[in-house]
Amino acid sequence: MNLQLAKQQWQPIAASTDLIPRHVFHAQLFGRELAVWRADDGHVNAWENRCLHRGVRLSIGINDGRELVCQYHGWRYANRTAGCTYIPAHPADAPARTICNNQYPVIEKDGLIWSCMADDQPEYSSTGFLSGEKLVLRSIPVNATVDVLLEQLTDHADNRDNINLQSTNPHATHVSLSINDQHDNHQIDFFLQPVDSHRTVIRAILSGVQSNTNESDKLHNLYRYNTTLTEIRELAENEMQRLETPEPWEVVIKPVSELLAHMPEASNRANGLLRVKVASTDNTATAIKSLELVSIEDQLPTFHAGAHIDVHLPNGLIRQYSLTNAPGQTDRYIIGVKRESHSSGGSSYIHDSLKIDDVIAISAPRNNFPLRRDAVKTILIAGGIGITPLLSMATAMHHSAQPFQLHYFVQGEDHQAFSEVLSRFETSLIVHTALDPAETQSRLNEILQDYQDAHHVYVCGPGPMLDATRSIAEKNHWPDNSVHFEYFKNTQTQDDTVPFTVSLARSGLTLQVPSGRTLLEVLRENNVDLPSSCEQGACGTCRVAVTAGEPLHQDVYLSHTEQQRGDCMMTCVSRAKTDSLTLDI
Amino acid sequence: MQAKHTLITLYDYELSGNCYKVRLLLSMLNIEYTSQTVEFYPAQQHKTSWFKSINPLGTLPVLVDDDLTLKDSAAILVYLASRYDKSENWYPAGDAATLAKVTEWLAFADSITGSASQARLAEGFFYQLDAEACRASAHQLFRILDEHLWFAEQQNQPWLVSGAEPTIADIACFPYVILSEEGSIMRQDYPAIRRWTDRIKRIPGFTVMPGVFPAGPAQTT
Repeated sequence: MNLQLAKQQWQPIAASTDLIPRHVFHAQLFGRELAVWRADDGHVNAWENRCLHRGVRLSIGINDGRELVCQYHGWRYANRTAGCTYIPAHPADAPARTICNNQYPVIEKDGLIWSCMADDQPEYSSTGFLSGEKLVLRSIPVNATVDVLLEQLTDHADNRDNINLQSTNPHATHVSLSINDQHDNHQIDFFLQPVDSHRTVIRAILSGVQSNTNESDKLHNLYRYNTTLTEIRELAENEMQRLETPEPWEVVIKPVSELLAHMPEASNRANGLLRVKVASTDNTATAIKSLELVSIEDQLPTFHAGAHIDVHLPNGLIRQYSLTNAPGQTDRYIIGVKRESHSSGGSSYIHDSLKIDDVIAISAPRNNFPLRRDAVKTILIAGGIGITPLLSMATAMHHSAQPFQLHYFVQGEDHQAFSEVLSRFETSLIVHTALDPAETQSRLNEILQDYQDAHHVYVCGPGPMLDATRSIAEKNHWPDNSVHFEYFKNTQTQDDTVPFTVSLARSGLTLQVPSGRTLLEVLRENNVDLPSSCEQGACGTCRVAVTAGEPLHQDVYLSHTEQQRGDCMMTCVSRAKTDSLTLDI
Repeated sequence: MQAKHTLITLYDYELSGNCYKVRLLLSMLNIEYTSQTVEFYPAQQHKTSWFKSINPLGTLPVLVDDDLTLKDSAAILVYLASRYDKSENWYPAGDAATLAKVTEWLAFADSITGSASQARLAEGFFYQLDAEACRASAHQLFRILDEHLWFAEQQNQPWLVSGAEPTIADIACFPYVILSEEGSIMRQDYPAIRRWTDRIKRIPGFTVMPGVFPAGPAQTT
């Protein structure tokens, strides 16, 4: 075998039938171990067989249909992206999107799963099989080199009148034999999978099988060639006894750099945008339209329950929308958009002008409203369109059979969006229809009775409802860090009159923030790059740490406790109570 | 299927695969029992005169049910299934051929114990055994097992013995297969065995032991 040439080619790593649902197959190619798994949506993943955390083999992990869970400390990785979606030891944080396992290319063709270790993979081209049905024979792992096996296979052909060697490929991992006996004209293509320097899997496809062959004849063929290949294995392994066993191939596992894992998200809105296509739309409720967005070029990035994206509309407006599907459903993003009665052109554009197949730009998902998966009890409270991030959370918990309650407050039945998804939650869903503010408050009070350790509530909806929920939770002794909320917008009156001085501890800069300008604007003017999203103190993206001075909080993102602690602030709206502030940037 | 009236006692050691066979079936049949720990390592309690008065062979597990004392994991599995499994799936006594197949695999399970378990004793419990030879025999058996299971899959047969339900043959073979890595016997080359172990982990009542991980839920739709 020509190792260099062989590495440039697609090589088989498994049979299609090896990848049964909810199973992780343990593969190896050129010494590199792979965890290969099929998600419930049919997608096949081939990943480095190594958890990023402690290096435990992912092939002993759990395939839950959407995510692969490491057995050791429960890190979860998403289908398609291999991005980490949850770290149980950090339940309150969304993992950095850059924590991502190494993936290898995969093609499923001709009944086998193929991968290629080259940087530039050639097009996959099928072998010239005989017409008729194809039968994938049982794979035979052999403790022998590809070369020794190849010799045994050609010897086998040479010693039999009815078997002719047709071809071997230049890098000598593929052998084609024709078999002619009184009944059949068959062809067998052997693909010798170089597992390691001295270990090979024989994978073989029998072609020319008559398409009306019954099950027992198929089985007969499978048994017959299994016996032959088992004999060839014995000969090859005996031959290996006489040879010196070569050293195993050295495998370099690409490290995921610390730097990359902690890099802040790109702030420049023109950079890092993804182009997506509107695949479908649905008028899911009165004045609510859902959009299914699929990627045009690249894989959509990993996201976590509670995440949102910036949507850049063709009319220049930028709006934030929560993703409603669950982590691991990485083939699409689904958002829900409510037509605002006083729309300044964002939601009305989406409702009136955006069509199927239109292309729009979106940011990568951000998550400032992450779901903990370690709660004893999780209560989700949605008001109107506030259902969107909570739908993602509910879908994730429902999929992993974690208990939750989803309380959905709507004006009327025709305002209930995403009914089809919601119906799956059965008794976990409680819909509260057409309640006035007083009734809503009394209902919230019932829901938020009996706080106990490790209970968590997540609330998203109109501002007054969030305010009410937070104050009712406080009255019922819910600690701040158990009450998670996301406002759509900041309706608080903003005071931008008082100027202040800001010192940047890491950058060594001292800047003046005049009245009428925001801290974020002044930072950007001075080339201090910060990520931001809503720029009205609702989403939490532009948060920075404060090391001295007292901030004047004007956001609706931080909890009261966090605001009082005074060790961080939102640069887009918040200012200073003291003459100067020192920031940890 | 029903909880027992008089309590069964299992002389048990947590790290023993043979004891695990019995714990698995007790749990799958939902039979209540008390566990009496016999420290195999390092105390070697199974070789004391106290334990030899219960089982002169000095081996684990031992099961006591009323007046009956049983001392071999296969015998115990046969007894529990025959006596307590009303469905007769676990030990299908009514069908001669099936019953013989189950017995064949019980013998095969003993061969696995004689190889894979021995390698584990050498690696993890410092027994003076030829671990390399044990591993080689285990691999020969695993090749046969994988081939059998692959052809069973081709015929939509999920278990060792043909039929829709698992039998004590599966329970007898499972523990020292799933613990084989502790004897440095990798199962990478046995994909059909790996899938079969996933199926066993999804049998209602399945329990784990140290070194055995649970499976995730099966696909429902």
